[in-house]
Amino acid sequence: MVQTRSKLTLSLILIVGVLTLGPVVMLLLGSFSKGLTAFGSFTLEKYIEAYTDPAFYEVIVNTIVFVLGSSILATGLALFLAYLNNRTDIPFKFLFKIISILPMMIPHLLFAVSWALLLNPSNGMMNMVLKNVLGLESAPFNIYSLSGMVMVEGLLDMPVSYLIIAPAMASFDVALEESSRVFGAGTWRTLVRVTLPVLRPAILAAFILGLVRGLASFAVPSVLGMPGRVNVLSTYLYQMIATGFAPDYGKAAAIGMSVLVTSITLIIVYRALTAESEKYVTIAGRGYRPTVIELKAAKIPLFTVVGLLSLILIVLPVTVLFYTSLVPYSMVPSARAFSLMSWKHWIEVVQDPISLLSLKNSLFLGVVGATLGVLLSIFVAYVIVKVKTRASGVLESLSFLSFSFPGIVIGVGFMWFFVQTPLYATIWALLIGYIATYLPYGIRPLASAFVQVHAHLEESSLVCGASPLTTMRRIIIPLLIPGIVSAWILMASMFVRELTLSVVLSRPGTEVLAVQILRFADDGLWGRLSALGIIMIFISTTLVVLATLIGGKLKAVESEA
Amino acid sequence: MEIRIQGVSKYYFSGGKTIKALDNVDLTIPANQIFTLLGPSGCGKTTLLRCIVGLEAPDTGEISIGDEVVWSKEKNINVPTEKRGLGMVFQTYAIWPHMNVFDNVAYPLQIRNVPRDVIRQRVAKTLSFVHLEGMEKRPATKLSGGQQQRVALARALVAEPKVILFDEPLSNLDAKLREETRKELRTFLGKLKITAVYVTHDRVEALALSDTIAIMREGRIIEVGDPKKIYFDANHRFVADFIGRANLVKATVRAHDGDHTVVDCGLGTIACQRRDIPTGSEATLCIRPEFIRIARGKAGGKNVVNGRVESLIFIGEAYEVEIRVGDELLLAKIDPDVDLKVGNTVNFSLDPAHCLLVSI
Repeated sequence: MVQTRSKLTLSLILIVGVLTLGPVVMLLLGSFSKGLTAFGSFTLEKYIEAYTDPAFYEVIVNTIVFVLGSSILATGLALFLAYLNNRTDIPFKFLFKIISILPMMIPHLLFAVSWALLLNPSNGMMNMVLKNVLGLESAPFNIYSLSGMVMVEGLLDMPVSYLIIAPAMASFDVALEESSRVFGAGTWRTLVRVTLPVLRPAILAAFILGLVRGLASFAVPSVLGMPGRVNVLSTYLYQMIATGFAPDYGKAAAIGMSVLVTSITLIIVYRALTAESEKYVTIAGRGYRPTVIELKAAKIPLFTVVGLLSLILIVLPVTVLFYTSLVPYSMVPSARAFSLMSWKHWIEVVQDPISLLSLKNSLFLGVVGATLGVLLSIFVAYVIVKVKTRASGVLESLSFLSFSFPGIVIGVGFMWFFVQTPLYATIWALLIGYIATYLPYGIRPLASAFVQVHAHLEESSLVCGASPLTTMRRIIIPLLIPGIVSAWILMASMFVRELTLSVVLSRPGTEVLAVQILRFADDGLWGRLSALGIIMIFISTTLVVLATLIGGKLKAVESEA
Repeated sequence: MEIRIQGVSKYYFSGGKTIKALDNVDLTIPANQIFTLLGPSGCGKTTLLRCIVGLEAPDTGEISIGDEVVWSKEKNINVPTEKRGLGMVFQTYAIWPHMNVFDNVAYPLQIRNVPRDVIRQRVAKTLSFVHLEGMEKRPATKLSGGQQQRVALARALVAEPKVILFDEPLSNLDAKLREETRKELRTFLGKLKITAVYVTHDRVEALALSDTIAIMREGRIIEVGDPKKIYFDANHRFVADFIGRANLVKATVRAHDGDHTVVDCGLGTIACQRRDIPTGSEATLCIRPEFIRIARGKAGGKNVVNGRVESLIFIGEAYEVEIRVGDELLLAKIDPDVDLKVGNTVNFSLDPAHCLLVSI
């Protein structure tokens, strides 16, 4: 028993190690090589070239502004929403739940595109309307700017920050605040001296995760930054390998190394902080219901803000995309626009062989990739939760590492690897890359599912006379099904819309949906882009619904048996 | 069925140190009794239970249930848990949350491939035995703690095992429910011809439920006996102290006089229950608070002691009185209608039958 377990642990460390450390090592080796074909011949050339380029420093400044700005915006918004939801009598609290699960539904790429359609300086719909109404000479807003990127990225990262801050806020022991009041501190003093310091680990964790996500973000900078020539590290890297005549993977690796090191450092800080915030939470008393603050006159305006946010985050992007997919070219909604509507773009997309191929590839990657990914995650989660040895600790750290991987950088690492193998330019390269990069998203829900399966539930089945195999089939697996289903949904919907890794690894023949959408954006084919985008949203939503139904069915079968 | 445990040890390694969870335990659990393993937490009682059921493997020794050896280090026998045919109620009940009451209880029969209609009958019978008739279709997680506990009991009983094991089954219930469930459990088990091994750290539970109690400490069995013997007649100071509140007074044996052993102690010369302890040697005198009887007026007879009331606490059904006798401070539990004040001088007598001598 013990022996098979340690064998399992070791082989998992090997698999996960190759998947997560492999591309990092290849990136490192690649950054010291002359080129993809001259792998292994040591040179410092690429580092010197990359870091002495004057353009690089402008990129660094842009990146810092973009990453800090979007993370501050996301954390601030999340704090505001979490406070409203947990501590005030604001109506329609279900809206907060919707806002917090939004990232499952609308891909970042499409969200960014919808804002480009609304606020681009030449024919953005909202710009046109404002120009007409206010009688302006030029468009009032330009989304193709650093501030536009910060706003869109901030909105996109807000739900994740909310998911970190809201639970901390909910478990906050109000007695801490009350005792501060008793000792004579006013509301403001209490907020500054007690409330915010106690919540600090959670707020900082949300902020740092925002930084990591901003650093890794490619969708927003590529859609909103590149047209206005505002480059950040991820797009700078992308241009090095995807445009021009001679893609330079060596230089890309050299720059990628510093992005990766920054990102890993941030994730380590993040982990330390979340461990600390959990400690704070456990200190908080139980059974206290937070006192609800009556908003009174502020209720309606504050609620309007929340309503507006949900509108901006959910309704607007889908509506804009759908509208754009029907009108022949960019135009402000009007009677004429409605009279010109047709399914033209949809028909074009359905007849476009590359779009169809990308659809097929994405579906394959979503279904097969998520299934294999979940399978691997089950074993890894089992070892992490149930086998508590030093080796399983190593496995946990390994599997957490890829949380910090910026897709485009790790894509360059994989590129260095796959070029040496027959996997290069096949769909399997994408599959392996996806699983490696998104493994933590499969492990997390499964690990918490395993935690819930108390050892006694397993043992009592043995005592009842069931063999270990029967116990697995009738007790453990059914109890894990909710975890398995949510891990599968999470992975599949991420794979279907995956962009950052795919732009590096995808080759003619292995196009995927997001890459094809990006290509439409580059060519300015907004109508087709929107049609394909809606199809993509539809697929990920269907996957979610399907997986939920199957999960429910399996449960029902078990209770009938 | 009788359970025989011979020379069973179990070691844990933690932080470079070896911890003896079980230290060469020899124990025979008689058939068709409620047998309780009682001891403070960490004494090894749960480990011993888990060794019996096969969820843990001892490092030495032999365990047999009835005529079958289920574990033997020497003979290299290890019958897996699922082949031992036992029933067990876990501390957490281990009710499977994805099944309803019927499936939880039917599980052991389904595993044994019993025909469906027989399963239905036996589950219904068992559920009515634990007063849960008609609950079959309820989701198990929607039950109260007490009901879940009875589902766990029904599941352990349904396959009619010869031995049923309980691992602190009442510790998750609140105080009132715990008392009710304890009574019920006693009634249920009394009706069955079954060997029950019961693990608890609650002395009242052990006294109320058991036919026989084994007291454990640091991986060893200290003393085995029926509840009255353990309470009134313990041989070890640890046992006397653990099983109930006790005044422990250092004493020296002076003489043996017929039915009594006479000792010198801080209370004076006291006649105790006879014990074969050599004259002149040290022992501990153990007096339970409820056996200190304050006499009205002048007390007569044996073992009369004078003292002064040092504190007086009213706890409802009685007074808890601290009485100073020389250097000794004795705790007594006396009727609430006795008229006493702090500082009063009191006489009390000690019945020699309740003056217990235990080894140091």
